[in-house]
Amino acid sequence: MKKYILYSLLSFSFWSVSAQKNDSASQDLNGMRAIGSPANPKVPMSWDRYHDYAQITQFCKDLVKSYPNLVKMESIGKSYENRDIWVLTISDFKTGKIEHKPGFYIDGGIHANELQGVEVSMYTAWYLAESFQTVKFINTLLKEKVFYIAVTISPDSRENFIHTPNNANTSRSGMRAFDNDGDDLVNEDKLDDLDGDGNIVMMRRKSKTGRWKVDPKYPSRMYQVRGDEKGDYEMLGYEGIDNDKDGLVNEDNTGTYDPNRDWAWNWQPNYVQNGALFYPGTLPETRAVKDFVVNHPNIAGAQSYHNYGGMFLRGPGAAEDDPLFSRQDIEVYDNIGKLGEKLIPGYNYFILHKDLYTVYGGEIDFLCLTRGIFTFSNELMTSYKLFNQKSSWSRWDNDEFNEFDKYLLFGDGYVEWKTFVHPQFGEIEVGGSKKNYIRNHPGFMLQEDAHRNMAFTLYHAYQTPKLEIVDIKTEKLSGDLVAVTATIMNTRIIPTHSTHDVKNKIEQPNYITLKGSTVVVGMTVENEDLNLFTEQKYRPEQIEVPNISGMGSVKVRWIVKGNPSNATVEVSSAKGGLVSEKVSEKLAK
Amino acid sequence: MNKRILFLLLFSFALTYGQSDYLNYESLSKKLKEFESKSKFCKVKSIGKSSGGKDLWLVTLSESTKPKPALLITAGIDGKHQVGTQMAVQLIDQLLKSENLSKLLSEKTLYFVPSVNPDAMDAFFGKLKMEKSGNATKTDDDRDGQIGEDPFEDMNNDGLITQIRIEDVSGTYIESPDDPRLLVKADPTKNQIGKYLVLSEGFDNDKDGNFNEDFSEGVNIDKNFTFDHPVFEKGSGVYVASEPETRALLDFLYLNQNIYAVFTFGMHNNLSEAPKYDSKMASSRIIKSWLEKDVKTGELVSSLYTEKAKIKDAPKSPMTKGNFAQTAYYHAGRLSFSTPGWWIPKEEVKKDSSQVKFEKPKKDSVEPNQELAYLNWATKENLTNVFVNWTPVKHPDFPNQKAEVGGFVPYALNNPPAKYLEESTTKHKLFLEEFLAAMPKIETTTPVVEKVQNDLYRVTVKVVNKGLLPTYTEIGDKIRFVSRMKTEVVLTKNQSIVSGRKYFLRNAMQAGESEEYSWLISGSGKVTIQTGCATTGVKELIVELK
Repeated sequence: MKKYILYSLLSFSFWSVSAQKNDSASQDLNGMRAIGSPANPKVPMSWDRYHDYAQITQFCKDLVKSYPNLVKMESIGKSYENRDIWVLTISDFKTGKIEHKPGFYIDGGIHANELQGVEVSMYTAWYLAESFQTVKFINTLLKEKVFYIAVTISPDSRENFIHTPNNANTSRSGMRAFDNDGDDLVNEDKLDDLDGDGNIVMMRRKSKTGRWKVDPKYPSRMYQVRGDEKGDYEMLGYEGIDNDKDGLVNEDNTGTYDPNRDWAWNWQPNYVQNGALFYPGTLPETRAVKDFVVNHPNIAGAQSYHNYGGMFLRGPGAAEDDPLFSRQDIEVYDNIGKLGEKLIPGYNYFILHKDLYTVYGGEIDFLCLTRGIFTFSNELMTSYKLFNQKSSWSRWDNDEFNEFDKYLLFGDGYVEWKTFVHPQFGEIEVGGSKKNYIRNHPGFMLQEDAHRNMAFTLYHAYQTPKLEIVDIKTEKLSGDLVAVTATIMNTRIIPTHSTHDVKNKIEQPNYITLKGSTVVVGMTVENEDLNLFTEQKYRPEQIEVPNISGMGSVKVRWIVKGNPSNATVEVSSAKGGLVSEKVSEKLAK
Repeated sequence: MNKRILFLLLFSFALTYGQSDYLNYESLSKKLKEFESKSKFCKVKSIGKSSGGKDLWLVTLSESTKPKPALLITAGIDGKHQVGTQMAVQLIDQLLKSENLSKLLSEKTLYFVPSVNPDAMDAFFGKLKMEKSGNATKTDDDRDGQIGEDPFEDMNNDGLITQIRIEDVSGTYIESPDDPRLLVKADPTKNQIGKYLVLSEGFDNDKDGNFNEDFSEGVNIDKNFTFDHPVFEKGSGVYVASEPETRALLDFLYLNQNIYAVFTFGMHNNLSEAPKYDSKMASSRIIKSWLEKDVKTGELVSSLYTEKAKIKDAPKSPMTKGNFAQTAYYHAGRLSFSTPGWWIPKEEVKKDSSQVKFEKPKKDSVEPNQELAYLNWATKENLTNVFVNWTPVKHPDFPNQKAEVGGFVPYALNNPPAKYLEESTTKHKLFLEEFLAAMPKIETTTPVVEKVQNDLYRVTVKVVNKGLLPTYTEIGDKIRFVSRMKTEVVLTKNQSIVSGRKYFLRNAMQAGESEEYSWLISGSGKVTIQTGCATTGVKELIVELK
């Protein structure tokens, strides 16, 4: 009888496992699955394109529908033009409460012209959900951690970039209109798509005094003549006309501000930090993200995707904040950043203010210094990727993009020069790189770089703290007093609190509590062998530990009345999660 | 009819309940609406909600809906300074009753936000009175992850949170030689030996060794602004500009470019003494000194304050980090002045300082002197309910020691009974009128039209600032949200500009400064020249080319 029940239970559970397996779509239906890619994803996607807002929203909904136990979707606020800012919460909802798991925050596309950050964020969400059943590492990761993925935090501007005429650098801002040139008029002289092809390219004019020439190798390319060489053309800037007839062309475009200078750490006004608005949080988008982050104290790591240049950037944004990064904390960044250089050839691990430029009021400083979160910002795409070699030219001034266009894109990267009669400049020609070239990956390279960047970020997320109660000992003292000693270890490299966090008490300390026992005295064990302890006089049952460092451990001791074997040791850490063990069970092991 | 009686009843109840002659949030709201209903020049609207859901009232005194060069007067930013709100309301009242109001409003607009932090008003009128700077945001004052776990307790049941002194061998305070009610730090160089520990009134609820370190005071709005924000400091907010009050006030200031200057009734004073110029701080990347020309302007304004309006003897109250007054200058680029509005009349201080004899007031003794002056003044004025005399109390955290409760009544030092404010408000009204009269005035010469040839004309005009103050601040030229001086020519259909720009932008124009503009215009007929900026108003000239 009993056997029979056991049997049926077993077969039932077997059935449910295999049903789950069917669910996970791991089988190869056609041909053979390539290693590293979900074979038959429930949400079919092609990662060689850039998705607009409707597609992004649909993708989020589809992922939730296909994986209700892994993916949740919420709007954390509205953009300036009233679009929802979506956050996908991804974790194994059946294992533990998500607010008790170390969290990892990812966002993309704060600069909307930097399209691929959004794609990498989406790819990450997709890969995690689609691989949960088949890849053990991902399975464990989603049991232990929770990912919060804000796929695009500048949705208005992304929509504008994709669906209206732009160049590679415009629609970096949001869509709120400001007077840019101090004449009390707003958006009175925008860029103009003279030939109506959706790309804002360059204007050139034949000129006897011009200092520019056509590159004989690549007719799309103009180069500046040097020395006594004679030029044929003068360059007249981006496509546009003097709409307000004030003698300036394109001087007041939509929203010339920088959403990445709108964050609450070392914020400075526009005369110190160009792109800043009235105060950090002038924009509804950044405010929504700030509120979300503050309300999720479990976020221990973060990534904000940008382009361009192939970099893993860490803070600080300004040199004066360098002292806020302790040696121990820098070691953590070094560990992750240096691995990144291996994972993504051509990418470099850099410090923002030192190796790139100074940023006041930037997002990564807010995450890292206002909230104590270990944060990287990846600058996606680099010219290294064109021919897998280091360019001998500087960041923008090279002809590799033209060469790559010729042999690998077959001319798809540029708008050919054509004539146009301009109301102010007369007969001119317009041509140049398309808006989605240069900064953004060509399609066939997108998925690979998305995967590599995701891998970097998953390593970063894996290293957020994992607390384990490694040991509990009891020792009988005089009378009915018993000493209970617990050892807690953080088995990952990111500490529960950065040095800056501990110093400024950003997050509450870790609490190590003995529950279900009469605690007489509580203390932190500084050195057991030498008998060094620090007593905590108030609330002795709940020992406060400011930090459990990466790969480090702490030991605490309580003296209790009576037998503590029914008591429980609970470790509660905002960024390190919640774990508990029964004293008796740990003793038995 | 019935309704009205009920209203009056409620109103008077509110007054007695508060046990104060100050306005609370309800009576303030009512008073402002009353102003609006009585005067055609007065409009009241809300520019946002506090974190506790109260309206942030904006009172506009204006004769038209068109914005004119304006002043913004703010008060009640730090909850401890309720006196500012009372004075701001009195000021509106006096202006509305003033005979020359309509003349004043023919050229200028006045904005008032009398209570930027209305949530904090509740504490002032609370059954249990304790000093509170912050709004209704739940804050973890000691940053330990717990909110409000160690509040104050009224140990002597007098409805006031004052102080506790405990006779203790480790005490560092003694009774002041000048007035035994006051406690001062013992000075070992004067053979003084400490006797008392001084704590705030209440227990150590969480037994962590700190007393009343977290009653969740809320965010002090005057510590939440962007200039030099004291990040991680108690009351400064979870981050800079985190509070809705902060954002609402800054949005209003930035978006109304016609605001020429900001006056704040608050905890700081840069009016009786103008800001100093520090060339190094003024030229560093992050500017931390008023710029040179603005300092000159500040000196002039200070003289209007002390000489013209004869407002004397204001205490030095230096600026503090993250406050509105400094943010309005350094970040929003407006002239920004702040005054406590009321302080203890000087004679009293004199008498006391003579009693103190030759002791030079050092850092520690400055405050007690102020306190002493206040006590003497209060005695002279027969003010009761300003100080709780020390009386023994049982303190459970010090079971075997002598503990006494006493000290200043919360808010008393900065917030005197309303009857003392009227005179000072009148002086400040006079100052405001002087300031308004000194504001920039854009004037022009009669445009000179020269017929160069046939249909070609040269038009020349000189623009002058005939006011005593610049068109706007020197720092304003660095800030993109400040409206710049613009001189523009508007043509009629068949005309075109042959030489000269459609409009010229220039930097702030100092008092007495002028600039000449000229255009070559082809085509006869009427042209319009407009010159000025939001803080001066735009002057329009019509010129006939013939």
